[in-house]
Amino acid sequence: MALYKLFVHGGGAMLRYLIRRVLWAIVLFVVVTLVTYVIFFLVPNDLAAKVAGQGSSQQQRARAIHRLGLDRPVYVQYAKFMWLLIKPVPVHIGSVPVFIRPNGNLGYSFVRASSVNSLVKSAAPVTASLVFGGVIVWLLMALPIGILSALRPRSLLDRTSMTFVLIGISAHPIWIGLIFAYIFGFKLGWFPISNYCDFFNSAGGCGGPAQWAYHMVLPWLTYAILFAALYARMVRANVMEAMTEDYVRTARAKGAPESRVLRSHVLRNALLPVVTMLGMDIGIGLGGAIFTETIYNLPGLGKLLLRAIGETDLPIVMGVVVFATFAIIVFNLLIDLLYAWIDPRIRLS
Amino acid sequence: MALLEVNDLKTYFQTDDGIVKAVDGVSFSVEKGKTLGIVGESGSGKSVTCLTIMGLNSKKNTITSGEALFNGENLLTAGSRRLREIRGNDIAMIFQDPMTSLNPVHSIGAQLVEAVQLHRDVSKKVARARAVELLKAVGIPRAERRVDDYPHQFSGGMRQRVMIAMALVNDPDLLIADEPTTALDVTTQAQIMNLIKRLQDDFGSAIIVITHDLGVVAEAADDVLVMYAAEVAEQAPVEKLFNRPFHPYTWGLLGSLPRLDIEVERLVQIPGQPPSLLRPPSGCRFHPRCPYVMDKCKQVDPPLVAISDDSDHLQACHLDEETKDREAKKLLESTMAQAS
Amino acid sequence: MAEDLLVVEDVKKHFPVTRGIIFQKQVGAVKAVDGVSFTVKSGETLGIVGESGCGKSTLARCIMRLFDTTDGKIVFDGRDITKLSRANMRPIRREMMMIFQDPYASLNPRKRVGQIVGEALEVHKLGTASETKRRVQELLEVVGLNPEHYNRFPHEFSGGQRQRIGVARALAINPKLIVCDEPVSALDVSVQAQILNLLEDLQQDFGLTYIFIAHDLNVVRHISDRVLVMYLGKVVELAPKAELYDQPKHPYTGALLSAVPIADPERGRARQPIVLEGDVPSPLNPPSACNFHPRCPRFQAGHCDVVDPPLYPFGDGHIAACHYPLERWPLAADEFRKPAAGHPPAETETSAVS
Repeated sequence: MALYKLFVHGGGAMLRYLIRRVLWAIVLFVVVTLVTYVIFFLVPNDLAAKVAGQGSSQQQRARAIHRLGLDRPVYVQYAKFMWLLIKPVPVHIGSVPVFIRPNGNLGYSFVRASSVNSLVKSAAPVTASLVFGGVIVWLLMALPIGILSALRPRSLLDRTSMTFVLIGISAHPIWIGLIFAYIFGFKLGWFPISNYCDFFNSAGGCGGPAQWAYHMVLPWLTYAILFAALYARMVRANVMEAMTEDYVRTARAKGAPESRVLRSHVLRNALLPVVTMLGMDIGIGLGGAIFTETIYNLPGLGKLLLRAIGETDLPIVMGVVVFATFAIIVFNLLIDLLYAWIDPRIRLS
Repeated sequence: MALLEVNDLKTYFQTDDGIVKAVDGVSFSVEKGKTLGIVGESGSGKSVTCLTIMGLNSKKNTITSGEALFNGENLLTAGSRRLREIRGNDIAMIFQDPMTSLNPVHSIGAQLVEAVQLHRDVSKKVARARAVELLKAVGIPRAERRVDDYPHQFSGGMRQRVMIAMALVNDPDLLIADEPTTALDVTTQAQIMNLIKRLQDDFGSAIIVITHDLGVVAEAADDVLVMYAAEVAEQAPVEKLFNRPFHPYTWGLLGSLPRLDIEVERLVQIPGQPPSLLRPPSGCRFHPRCPYVMDKCKQVDPPLVAISDDSDHLQACHLDEETKDREAKKLLESTMAQAS
Repeated sequence: MAEDLLVVEDVKKHFPVTRGIIFQKQVGAVKAVDGVSFTVKSGETLGIVGESGCGKSTLARCIMRLFDTTDGKIVFDGRDITKLSRANMRPIRREMMMIFQDPYASLNPRKRVGQIVGEALEVHKLGTASETKRRVQELLEVVGLNPEHYNRFPHEFSGGQRQRIGVARALAINPKLIVCDEPVSALDVSVQAQILNLLEDLQQDFGLTYIFIAHDLNVVRHISDRVLVMYLGKVVELAPKAELYDQPKHPYTGALLSAVPIADPERGRARQPIVLEGDVPSPLNPPSACNFHPRCPRFQAGHCDVVDPPLYPFGDGHIAACHYPLERWPLAADEFRKPAAGHPPAETETSAVS
């Protein structure tokens, strides 16, 4: 197995690298959650009124505050939050405890009567649909545009696509979203401009893959356009650079046809940096999802987060931050492994 | 018939600043099993000449004229499909920098197999066996195992061996080596030149060695072409070129070369810089740097002609032969006297 | 007689190799320079040759105090500079300058030639602006450039002219010692000759002392008074030039000399090259005792790989680190013993480094 080889070659260097990455991820995780906590308590708010209800008495408010533990010092609250999250829980198969997993409980909303886990669980697939679908859409746009422009630099195609790139980079996603919604949704009526349909569950009006994709078309486009532009430009530059490499000349000197030169020698090398960039952009990508979800009224993590901030609902804010941080870390690790797998220089040294 | 015959080859590049005449009327021929050395300084057009023959200049902005007859077939007018059949099969090439000339993401085996399968309809297994055979022939230890390694796992000298193996894998009639040892250390250089010589005996290929190193030319070449500013300055069999050099530029090259076997008080220096090929000097292109310059040199570009008593020895210079013989003798005597 | 301008005593430069997940611990060292001693007399040129990775450039940087040495002592003009602080080093930097290999990379492309050449004058606060300008123009003239080109940028010059700018920069504050690190290896033959002649003229005119580092044995022979040969961070041979080129004692020197192609068809084809097998081993894990022994054609098992040879004297300042030095030169091919059977040629794999 290729993955197994990753660890065996190079005297376990890859394994040591992974361990180092995980340790750093833990540090990062603690810092991010701590900072979120501190910021939350630095910002003035009227939490007590919110949790006890408008027009509640002083006493009712004090009780509510006490019930939520908000009268304790910040570090105690943070410690309790973390303990609930990472407390080891044995996992049983049959009745035998086989291994230990972290508890993973993100607590309960201050304002709403539900657990943060269930809120995040229902919002995450929406954001995942948006982000992963969006990544695929942006790669589908960026790769052909970038490669074709690189092959014909200064041609009409190149100039046109670079104009597109310039627009994509300069226009704000909210503006693009509104324009798309207006033209393709409102004026032309081609695509729905709000709501989300579940991929699997058709209960509640709409559902199933077709409806899901149909509702996601405009969000995907809106979400993808900025990154598509950035990536098209990067792919173009990488391919143009790779075309001038000595080993490309070697391949031509061997008598390889141009299509093979491009596929086997140019693209493989030119697209390596794209993989790295994907790993780095996933965090920014999650941030971008907030805008898109707001415009198209998608019940994803971004929307959940925005509302929770408005309601000063700390557990939900924390829940989304923890989940997003975790997702980014895991995704980055996967990208690292992927990179090592496709680049022998990393794999074997 | 010569294996390769190049007649009045011109390669012009259109750039934003104007037309760069990178090769401007070069003719030569290479016989089967022989080695032609092309010497010149950077920008003299020696590499572009060979890339043009191989059809490896980018088509855009390049104007090519003249002919390059390979076994009687003009490569400059051949279609791209035909050229691909010839490249890597009949004519192979190795380049200066072995560190960058191999693709870092493919194993060397994969790259050799590719070279075989591009020209032979054989299974991967057969191609791989051929690859291992060639890696052994160029002296890669434990070739069966190392065939699956990647370029970064080899040293510079070993990579150049791999390049040579890849070039020879289809038994080409002509091997073009563009500065094959320049990027290597002295002792590795010696290994690679020995290897090329040995393989030439085994495979019977003709070789064009492009180099700036007169030592390499003196030892490896049968015939020598001295290029200056996109033109041929002098062309002769190797002994004649070194024993009776007939062009002031060749004298300059020989005189400016510090030598291991000779103690020279002071090097001869060619004044000035090589000219721009965008706006080359009028007349003889060497005239602004030539100590023997005459009025005629500034106006008339001297043709490449045989010297009167030797039809093998061509040179492009207006200076009279008597003076040249005298100067050549003087240069030679001074080095012989100093030879240890 | 000329006194020693530079004394290098047992200088070592080891680069640590670390490994560890969070806390890096040292697991080894690349011994780039490993116990090198020599002296440079005032007014002479010492050539240092060796193949890439032999430590010659690291050594140059140690002498210039661009690197701190791991061990050993460097005495410049009677003063121990090994441990001098930055501030104490400053006046000494005026007396030793460096010329680099790549005339393209070593000149700041955004600065004008005048600024580049005059920089050292300004740093050391020597003279007013107009004095500096006059001095720079003088220097440009000395190195054969047009003084009017004072205001041009480096990219307006050819490779050879840039190297002249590099030379002018090094000369600006009348240094005593100039360390030239491969100053002509990026240049064409005709331009190379110009620069070599220039360096020789300047040495005559200003009484300069050179350390001339190069891999080209032809060039080193031409310019040097004495030549030092390095292999894997160590000195293998040091001798006056004529001695070294006519009577090499160390087999590695012999192999180097015999490997150089000669620009004379007759003599070139007659030469008997001693072809060394394999590549230079990794300095991370050098061979035992004499570190040339795995590639040495005169290797004697049980001696060369057990006892590290000292630098034996051969008279006239000629020293070489070999137990079985060459008796005469050139040797006939059969005077070299091939490595014993079952002793595969050394091969460096880059993976061995990691």
